[in-house]
Amino acid sequence: MSATEFKDGLIKEIPNLRAFAASLSGSMQLADDLVQDTLLKAWGNSEKFEPGTSLRAWLFTILRNTYYSLYRKRGREVQDSEGTYAERLAVRGNQESHLDLADFRKALAKLPEEQREVLIMVGATGLSYEETAEICGVAIGTIKSRVNRARTKLAELLSIGGLDDLGPDRQSAAALQRAGSEIVNI
Amino acid sequence: MSTIETGMADPAGGQDEAEIFMDPKVQESIGRSLKAHYDDIVNAPVPDKFLVLLAQLEAQENRAAGDSADERH
Repeated sequence: MSATEFKDGLIKEIPNLRAFAASLSGSMQLADDLVQDTLLKAWGNSEKFEPGTSLRAWLFTILRNTYYSLYRKRGREVQDSEGTYAERLAVRGNQESHLDLADFRKALAKLPEEQREVLIMVGATGLSYEETAEICGVAIGTIKSRVNRARTKLAELLSIGGLDDLGPDRQSAAALQRAGSEIVNI
Repeated sequence: MSTIETGMADPAGGQDEAEIFMDPKVQESIGRSLKAHYDDIVNAPVPDKFLVLLAQLEAQENRAAGDSADERH
């Protein structure tokens, strides 16, 4: 692979790297520092990339390792001083989403890191469970259970799938029960 | 019988908490929000500094390649 081909590959992945980095660090500013470090490391280690394999998975592995070794602590400090990106990022367009994006981001930021990262990888990046397992260095079963715990926790944080959502069903069940007891009483 | 047993033999360890039931509507709603969050950033303009950085790295490499070619001559 020529230097130009490799460079073009990196350029194509920048938007995904930023989105993943922001999801991990909770800050757009940290995300861009993290992406810059990732690009430098990728460039310096380009001979280690095997053409034909997923460049995205390879770059995510570098980004994730960089985050856990260098950025994690800084992330908490930045969040403390500036608030999370959830509060600062302008919400563009997308009103079709069922849940409000800012609320969703706040909830996402509250998930434990190990759950948040896999939920993003599996649910938004197009990476497979297998690739995600490889990036995180754990078994596929572990990824599946983290994804499920993440979804359950998110539903809880966003108060969906709770008692409120069961409202109409419970009401109709109660109505049926009443109707039933009336019939019995006759 | 044997088909059922084969079906149960899940290498991922199958019938544990990974199989916890979740309302498909809730799952779908979370899935849509995840995509909305992620795509919102994916679709944002890429800061020029990244393109500048990569162009510099490429130029450096080309220069280095040129230099070593010169040395050989």
